[in-house]
Amino acid sequence: MSTLTTPRPAAPPITPPRRDLPLPPPLHKKRSTARLALRGSLTTAATLLWKSAAILLFLALWEFGPRYLASESTRVFLPPLHEVLIAGTDLIATGALQSHIAASLTRSAAGFSIAVVLGISLGLVIAWYGPLHSFLNPLLELFRNTAALALLPVFTLLLGIGEESKITIVAFAAFFPVLLNTIAGVRTVDPLLVRAARSLGLRSPALFRKVILPSAVPTIFTGIRMAGTSAILVLIAAEMVGAKAGLGYLITNAQNSFLIPQMYAGILTVSLLGLLVNVLLVTAERHFSRWRTSINT
Amino acid sequence: MTAKISLRHVGQEFSVRASKGAPNSLLVLDDFNLDVRPGEFLTIVGPSGSGKTTLLDLLAGLAKPTSGQVLVDGHEVTGPGQDRAVVFQQYALFPWRTAARNVSIGLEGTGLNRRQRAAKAGEFLDLVGLSGFSERYPHELSGGMKQRVAIARSLAYEPDILLMDEPFAALDAQTREQLQDELLRIWRETGKTVVFITHGIDEAVYLGQRVAVLSSRPGRLKAIVDIDLGEREGESDIRSTTRFVEHRHKVWSLLHDEVQAAQNAGHRKVLPDGSAPDEVPANHPLLAQRSAA
Repeated sequence: MSTLTTPRPAAPPITPPRRDLPLPPPLHKKRSTARLALRGSLTTAATLLWKSAAILLFLALWEFGPRYLASESTRVFLPPLHEVLIAGTDLIATGALQSHIAASLTRSAAGFSIAVVLGISLGLVIAWYGPLHSFLNPLLELFRNTAALALLPVFTLLLGIGEESKITIVAFAAFFPVLLNTIAGVRTVDPLLVRAARSLGLRSPALFRKVILPSAVPTIFTGIRMAGTSAILVLIAAEMVGAKAGLGYLITNAQNSFLIPQMYAGILTVSLLGLLVNVLLVTAERHFSRWRTSINT
Repeated sequence: MTAKISLRHVGQEFSVRASKGAPNSLLVLDDFNLDVRPGEFLTIVGPSGSGKTTLLDLLAGLAKPTSGQVLVDGHEVTGPGQDRAVVFQQYALFPWRTAARNVSIGLEGTGLNRRQRAAKAGEFLDLVGLSGFSERYPHELSGGMKQRVAIARSLAYEPDILLMDEPFAALDAQTREQLQDELLRIWRETGKTVVFITHGIDEAVYLGQRVAVLSSRPGRLKAIVDIDLGEREGESDIRSTTRFVEHRHKVWSLLHDEVQAAQNAGHRKVLPDGSAPDEVPANHPLLAQRSAA
């Protein structure tokens, strides 16, 4: 009984590394340990190789495919990887790529920030007041299902081809994931937690701040991550239609000027930028949902 | 001696959205009268759907009775208050807060600073045998430990009354017995008034000074059984003494007819929001929709 009731501060689970496992007889000790360590690092290397194999194969195909497989005329439109990389380095050397990245990032960051601020605050209000939610929901559904790019002409007509229209369309595209996830997050709070909080004497404002908001944060962050992805996608498309700077402009401009390797350098930059943004947002999302890990796994 | 808690002619009616058309009203509690003495450990047993949880909601101030009065210290209950604390079956810990911060949530806004709150949380975690676990998140704790944290949380702001809704029902038998003994110890140490709802007759007899038996729906107080198990100290297996068995049988006989009646009437649990999904007849179209969704 007493052994059962005394709390045992459980030590964090320790998984010993492989090479610390049962030692062989002393004579062979040195060699075996070395062999095991070697095997361990070989396994790690193999895993790493397997995980990057698809990308390496793709890059190899990109490099050698156009040279040996494609016909002469196709190769013009599909330059091998090294030509693209050289074009990219040139763009960096002249500072052109940096300024295009800066232009794109400024626009998407501005639109994204507007979307996040508006989406979260409106979402909280709408979710908190039930009647408002049932009133606005049909309209929100309609807007959400309208492709943002379909509205590009409208924004261009109303706001011109300057920064305003691009920031607006990014904000529009990023707004809905944030808004809808905020609403969902608030409305799916476990009613038991609300009951518990009320029984603890928490009244509306405190209840909202201490229970509803924290429990909605992971869902809201999922929305923010989705918004980040669509912010970049939509911006590139918008820049392709009408802009004087930005990665979308770089790509179309290179195409029109028949600078094909430059065009691919632009595309590659867009991919890497999207990847980077996504990794950052996933990290942030994970940080804010730490307490939920056990539920998900 | 005046009663700590007093329920006078309490009735509670829900409108149930089980079938199409006009909502049916469902009488869960009817003319319910009960007095709880100060410092008493009262357990409540009753068949499914007899309004045990409704009763607890009324005492906690989470719901208002349709008729009658709920009095605590002679004052009518108008809402949740820090003189009462609730422990739920499903622990209801806030998963984004550590054990210590879960315990101290009821202390926020009481004028204590962060250090004082943390000290108090540590004190109550010690009381429930969880010192050293204050920085753990709920998902890192076992069911029994979670319920200990929940008990510590409800005790931390020092309420007079502890309301417990089948708190040990989700635990395994060993942990349950262990926590029952700890609860008795805490009750003796702190002198709280405890209202403990359970569906286990053994648990009710083991813990309670008195056991209130409810009738099947609509819930009324059917009988109160005084429990006298004699001197507990030194008795290693109190559950196998003749006294315990006699008391247990008494409660069982009282409950048996009611459980039968409830089963025949097909009574099931009514959810806190007033919906009773189980009350839908088996061939009802709504049910088919529900299972399809």
